[in-house]
Amino acid sequence: MNTAAPALEISGLTKSFGTTRALEEVDLVVESGTVHCVLGENGAGKSTLCHVVGGSVAPDAGGLRLYGSPYAPRRPADALAAGIAMVHQHFSLVPTLTVGENMRLLRLRDLPRRVARVREEYGLELDLDARVSELPVGVRQRTEIVKALLREPRLLVLDEPTGVLGPAGTDALLATCRRIAESGHAVVLVTHKLGEVARAGDAATVLRGGRVSGGGPLAELPPERLVPLMIGRPAGSLDAGLAGTIGLAADGDSPEAGASGSGKTRAGGPEPAGRALAVGTAEPGGRAEPGGKAAARVTQALRLRDVSVRRADGTSALDEVSLDVGYGEIVGIAGVEGNGQSELMALLGGSLAPVAGRVELDGRDLTRAAPRERSRAGLGVVPEDRLHEGCVPQLRVADNLFLGRLDRFRRHGVLLDRRAMDRAADSVLTGHGIRADGPGALMSSLSGGNQQKVVLARELALDPLICLAAAQPTRGLDIGAVGAVHSRIRDAAAAGTGVLVVSSELSELLVLCDRITVAYRGKLLGPVDPAEPDARERIGALMLGARASRPGPENTGHTPEALR
Amino acid sequence: MSPPPLTLSAPAPALRTAHTRIAPVLRHPVTVGVLAVVLAGAVGLGLVKGAGTGPAVAWDALVEGMFGSSYAVGSSLNSAAVLALIATGFTVAHRAGLVNVGGEGQLCAGGLAAAAVGTTLPAGVPAALGVPLVLVAGCVAGGAWAGIAGRLRARRGTSEVITTLLLNFVGVGLVSVAVHEEALLRQPVTSSETLPQSAPLPEGARLPLIGGVESPATAIVVIAVVAAVVTGVVLRHTAVGLRLRSVGHSPAASARLGLPVVRLETGSLAFAGAAAGLAGAALVAIAPYVLAEHFSSGYGFSGLVVGLLARGSLTAVAAVSLLFGFLTNGGINLQLAAGVPASSVQIVQSLLVLFVAAAMFTTTRNGRAS
Repeated sequence: MNTAAPALEISGLTKSFGTTRALEEVDLVVESGTVHCVLGENGAGKSTLCHVVGGSVAPDAGGLRLYGSPYAPRRPADALAAGIAMVHQHFSLVPTLTVGENMRLLRLRDLPRRVARVREEYGLELDLDARVSELPVGVRQRTEIVKALLREPRLLVLDEPTGVLGPAGTDALLATCRRIAESGHAVVLVTHKLGEVARAGDAATVLRGGRVSGGGPLAELPPERLVPLMIGRPAGSLDAGLAGTIGLAADGDSPEAGASGSGKTRAGGPEPAGRALAVGTAEPGGRAEPGGKAAARVTQALRLRDVSVRRADGTSALDEVSLDVGYGEIVGIAGVEGNGQSELMALLGGSLAPVAGRVELDGRDLTRAAPRERSRAGLGVVPEDRLHEGCVPQLRVADNLFLGRLDRFRRHGVLLDRRAMDRAADSVLTGHGIRADGPGALMSSLSGGNQQKVVLARELALDPLICLAAAQPTRGLDIGAVGAVHSRIRDAAAAGTGVLVVSSELSELLVLCDRITVAYRGKLLGPVDPAEPDARERIGALMLGARASRPGPENTGHTPEALR
Repeated sequence: MSPPPLTLSAPAPALRTAHTRIAPVLRHPVTVGVLAVVLAGAVGLGLVKGAGTGPAVAWDALVEGMFGSSYAVGSSLNSAAVLALIATGFTVAHRAGLVNVGGEGQLCAGGLAAAAVGTTLPAGVPAALGVPLVLVAGCVAGGAWAGIAGRLRARRGTSEVITTLLLNFVGVGLVSVAVHEEALLRQPVTSSETLPQSAPLPEGARLPLIGGVESPATAIVVIAVVAAVVTGVVLRHTAVGLRLRSVGHSPAASARLGLPVVRLETGSLAFAGAAAGLAGAALVAIAPYVLAEHFSSGYGFSGLVVGLLARGSLTAVAAVSLLFGFLTNGGINLQLAAGVPASSVQIVQSLLVLFVAAAMFTTTRNGRAS
């Protein structure tokens, strides 16, 4: 825009970890004044690229130039000094401090002036006195971005910034990216979601397996052409659910998107097909169950009645929530994160007791049952935090699969029959298409997608399985894994299991669910039938707290977090 | 001259720290072990010089105290057994993610109970009944002592590090009170020279010797070996071992998987206490067969150090216990025969621990960063 030299020029970048090549001969040019998207599936090398630019990983070969001058960071401080700011997927905020205190930790001069400048220039409002731990994820990320902007960087790198955001938060973020680019700086947006790229990017570079598989100005690269570059097969081969998850089907026209949407978004063609598919696969499941929902059975697979949960600070996390999940039904819970979804999952998992209300599984009261009893009764839970709650990364895959059922593997009465465990695990690995270095591989050595498949396989193996509750089942997974997880969930529903899916990916819920309710400030609003033509708009409105009957409010400028 | 024997045995625990990742030569566990031994040995040499003794004289005294006689070997083995028991318990609790620093207090509780039971037994009690009773009393008391910390953790979420540590002082204090009060365990005071200690245990409550009359090695050595082997098998080859490991790595995921997390944690801590209590009972049931004020001689803390150094490996527990057991007895002889304070051996031991721990800290930190 203003300088001749590109903001960032990467040439021939190569980096290996042990025998695996994370990056191979990567070339990348980011013009100043643009938003440049780096696309790729998980494991394509995006994160490594970020680390190299950020100075935390030294490349084996290749060079970087920043605004024309050579740039070879040895540590993150060098990157900061050169005017590069990174915002990582995982926040670097001290939760017990306030926003303002977190900023003071940066030890910058004239902090108030800088904060005021960021506010004026980018319209990023923050309550400096708010404690970070009490902020919703979207605001925390905004804080993180403001922190990065306080240093007045020439180049801002955002690594998977929308992974934790709802649609409204994503739109606000993308609008911010555009503003930063328009002010003459450059933004590198690392993501695996095509919808975002289409909305915010000027140019894109696609990585696959550590190599650049394509790129160019986005005006010449519609999503149909980006998908094959990303996954190595044509977009048409994608299941609509997958397309939804990577943002292909997302038309971004949720009502709050008006401010940032811009003309780049296209009303997604695949979407109607997606709905048809979801309905087509899920419905027969519901009917296959003898005396299914049509017969209005007295019991439901899962039934919540007037459940209330308080947070430690006394505020209400769940406020007299009632919810029914029928046999063979897939019910989705949409909503901006922090509206009670985590508490709902903790409640179902048994790690949180409600102050009032009942949880029933198949007519049986499980309100205060221990996790063990819940599993026995047939409630499978796929927790949101895979690595901390879903599995034990330091143990073997076989151990993770059968930890709850070790009594089945006995040798000489007392010893553990590892060989039988491994055999059983092996058949699960094959059956679920889990790629692991055998049943003895450590869970931590698996990719995120395969870890999730292990967790899902374990929960689906419950006998009986009355209801499966899954939180963010496809977060951070690549497209292949998303497809596998979705089809497993559909199969379970088809076999008569009630399924509850909590997800921040609205597109995913729209193609997967029979019914969608929206979590808003501890209440469940709706439900909305995803087959209705205006389902997306209505859900978007509910996410902002509108009544189900009313269409979305005219909402310009501020994000739903700002409403809180 | 003092370093060589350390070189032989010290790398064993360090070896267990070997991770598969490639580390620079300097960070290699063997290098770390050797360096730690050389540094600690050098300090030991300095201490010996400082005490005005020739290195050769000190060395001879040390070796004499360790291997010089069957008496030396026997009492070293007893010490090693006591340390091994405490460290075995520590390892089990550590597997479940708990750090039991209360070995000393649990040892005291065990010794107290053993003395109480032992002194009330009739004089003619058969060994087949008396010995098990005394040992079981120690186990139960030690387990219950640790159980207090376990319950506090389960109920109130109090850190077991703090509670077990503080219970040490209570345990030590209780022993002191008991041996000073005639109404409690003090032997009948007949003159002003009556020591503040319990009456000796009857013949049938004393641990049988296993090495003939010359050697003071008692059945506790066998018990410690069996305990270590059985614990090793349980931790490695049974469902309980795997569950403990799972809880240790991730209580949240373990709870989600339906494991009885609280029971496993409390149970492992109680086991650690029981093992330490058993060690305490053994100390009372070994000559001079009395409970005295400082009968624990800091074994609770040394056992903790052994457990920390062994880093979860029971083979290493055995190796380090033997090393420390023999060194302790060598140190006593060092003082008696060469006039070098026995505490210098303790200093060398502690430095060894410090160096190894420091090296371990840097390796894990770097491991996490990469």
